[in-house]
Amino acid sequence: MDTLLFSLLNGVIYGLLLFMVSAGLTLVFGMMGVLNFAHASFYMLGAYFAYTLQGVLGFGAAVVVAMLLAGGVGAVVERFFLRRVHHHGHAHELLLTFGLSFIVAESIKLLFGNFPVNYQVPAALDGSAFSLGGQQYPLYRLLMGGVALAMFALLYLLLTRTRVGIIVRSAIYRPRMVEALGHNVQFVFMGVFGVGAALAGLAGAIAGAFYTTSPNMALEIGVMVFVVVVVGGLGSLAGAMLASLLIGLLTSLAVGIDHSLADLLGLLGARAWAEGVGGLLTLKLSSLASTLPFALMLLVLLLRPQGLLGDKS
Amino acid sequence: MSSFRLAALPAALLIASAAHADAVKIGLLETLSGPQASTGQTFRAGVRFAIDKMNAAGGWNGQPVQLVEYDNQGGPAGASDKLKAAIADGVQIVVQGASSAIGGQITEDVRKHNLRNPGKEIVYINVGAEALELTGEKCNFHHFRVAPNAQVRTKVLVKGMKEANALGKKVYSINQNYSWGQDMEAAIVDNAAAGGYQVVEKTLHDTNKIQDFAPYIAKIGSSGAETVLTGNWSNDLLLMMKAAKGAGLKATFGTVFLDQPGNISNAGDTALGHFIVHAFNGEAGGADGERFVADFSAKLGRPPVFVEPQTAFGLDMVADALRRTKPEGGKLNVNAFARAMETARVKTPMGEASMRAADHQILMPLVVSTVTRDARYKVDGTDMGFKPVKVFSAEDAAMPVQASCKMQRPS
Repeated sequence: MDTLLFSLLNGVIYGLLLFMVSAGLTLVFGMMGVLNFAHASFYMLGAYFAYTLQGVLGFGAAVVVAMLLAGGVGAVVERFFLRRVHHHGHAHELLLTFGLSFIVAESIKLLFGNFPVNYQVPAALDGSAFSLGGQQYPLYRLLMGGVALAMFALLYLLLTRTRVGIIVRSAIYRPRMVEALGHNVQFVFMGVFGVGAALAGLAGAIAGAFYTTSPNMALEIGVMVFVVVVVGGLGSLAGAMLASLLIGLLTSLAVGIDHSLADLLGLLGARAWAEGVGGLLTLKLSSLASTLPFALMLLVLLLRPQGLLGDKS
Repeated sequence: MSSFRLAALPAALLIASAAHADAVKIGLLETLSGPQASTGQTFRAGVRFAIDKMNAAGGWNGQPVQLVEYDNQGGPAGASDKLKAAIADGVQIVVQGASSAIGGQITEDVRKHNLRNPGKEIVYINVGAEALELTGEKCNFHHFRVAPNAQVRTKVLVKGMKEANALGKKVYSINQNYSWGQDMEAAIVDNAAAGGYQVVEKTLHDTNKIQDFAPYIAKIGSSGAETVLTGNWSNDLLLMMKAAKGAGLKATFGTVFLDQPGNISNAGDTALGHFIVHAFNGEAGGADGERFVADFSAKLGRPPVFVEPQTAFGLDMVADALRRTKPEGGKLNVNAFARAMETARVKTPMGEASMRAADHQILMPLVVSTVTRDARYKVDGTDMGFKPVKVFSAEDAAMPVQASCKMQRPS
């Protein structure tokens, strides 16, 4: 029972972290139609900014400044790079962000080296929140989850309950009309891209201390973030939340399940045959835990190509 | 930044000696870019150090030995491509270490090349691909492993931890799901009787793809294991240690790659009391150990870490074999070199190491160390380091030749 509770909690928190990173990606895609390959690079930038500033500003302030800096870099990328290639179509934008992700990763390697840097959770937050059945639950994980939830609530309210949200949403569907009404659509796009990058930066600054801050972190989370966005539906914030939680829970719970297809066939009396065949049939579910999200993505693409909460358009 | 200047050094050597036609070329086929570049670059540092030493001692046949570096981009396909390029460039000795998957590809490619091109053989010096099959069913005359393997590492680790009274009765085995991790798991199970423990649970997981190890740590915690034995490397070890710290897991870790840079600093105090089996510990090697650390630091600006010492010792073995191979018409006869390699013997700071002709597996001394604050050499800029627990001689560490190895020698 304790184990199950731990697995559920672990899954939810990891899911919330995935949401923090994927929120920006899905937001930018929904608003601008740009599939941003460099999105996870902002996650990495956030972590390295916070690591660098931590000594000067302290942890809390470093996280906030790192978020703002990542957002600033995002805004610059939109203003001076993406906007120039925008009229060439999406393929060019995609290639540009793809190249950018390499440039960021290599620059980080040049400046900070190839190995993980020593970015740590501050001592004050480095305790356990509670313990259950002899195992402790880290306080910092709860904090990560809390930040993600607050972020979701804020974003949701901003988009649905404020004038800014109205302008942003209408700029997506009818940019010319919004422009004719006197709003600066280019500025809106820059803002959205910057906010998306800032959210990824925030996630990086927070998660980098808990996991690792290394030049590979963008690559490691980047793939999973794409899976989240595809499963949830491109452009859907609520979909990203749902998919993140689903994937977090799926990977966490699968680790605890040591059954294989052979066990299932055993119910039908064919265990000996299955064990003789080996291969896929005797592969334990637990050893596939981190592959399951991709299976889920495949399933979603087959059955509901627009994603769980995506629009059909 | 000093690595840039050092990087220019072999290039300068290359240009300087390009005029001579028959210098021996050693090709390094390593992962020098991409996510696992950090591992490949440590192998490179060890190789550069050893080759500089070879050349300082006069090179071979009156000429400096040339080092040519190729980036295999982290995969078997890239390695296969770059091996062709190396052969075209006239490389006769290929060196690689990071990843058994890549090692498996290279040894097969080398075997096929040598079958098809008699008289133009090449030889593969394996400095770190530790999967058993390379000296088992895939063993061949032109492959030499100058690194330990899963069986040897686990045997020594278990013995060392048992003698230090750090080995619990309940052991959890967690490894990466590919040839190396599977070998480690098998070896951990095989050593249960010798170590007097019971393997309570075994886990194989995806390699360097997992971000969140908390579910695995929860599983280890609920299994009641007192000791965790693992062959994990890179992120899979680092993230596991961090997750163990977060969950307050009380188990002792027995590891193979805890000395990879970044691990100790990231794990912090959690690392204290954990164990590692490695090829070199400066503190255990007496005056020779100190001299090796000093030499290495003088050349590379930092003390040797991770796989660098074992790579340097392996290349010393190549130097020993080269010394005993006479040029034939000004050229290196690779088969003669390989035969010399079979009887190669070097003195490392940890003791005598020699090549076993039967399966081309090095027999080398290994050290079991534990992380403490009173170690002589601190690592990662922390106040912690590896304190030697026990040095095992090459004979103590050795495991018998695998029955699956059928070595075919050229007549």
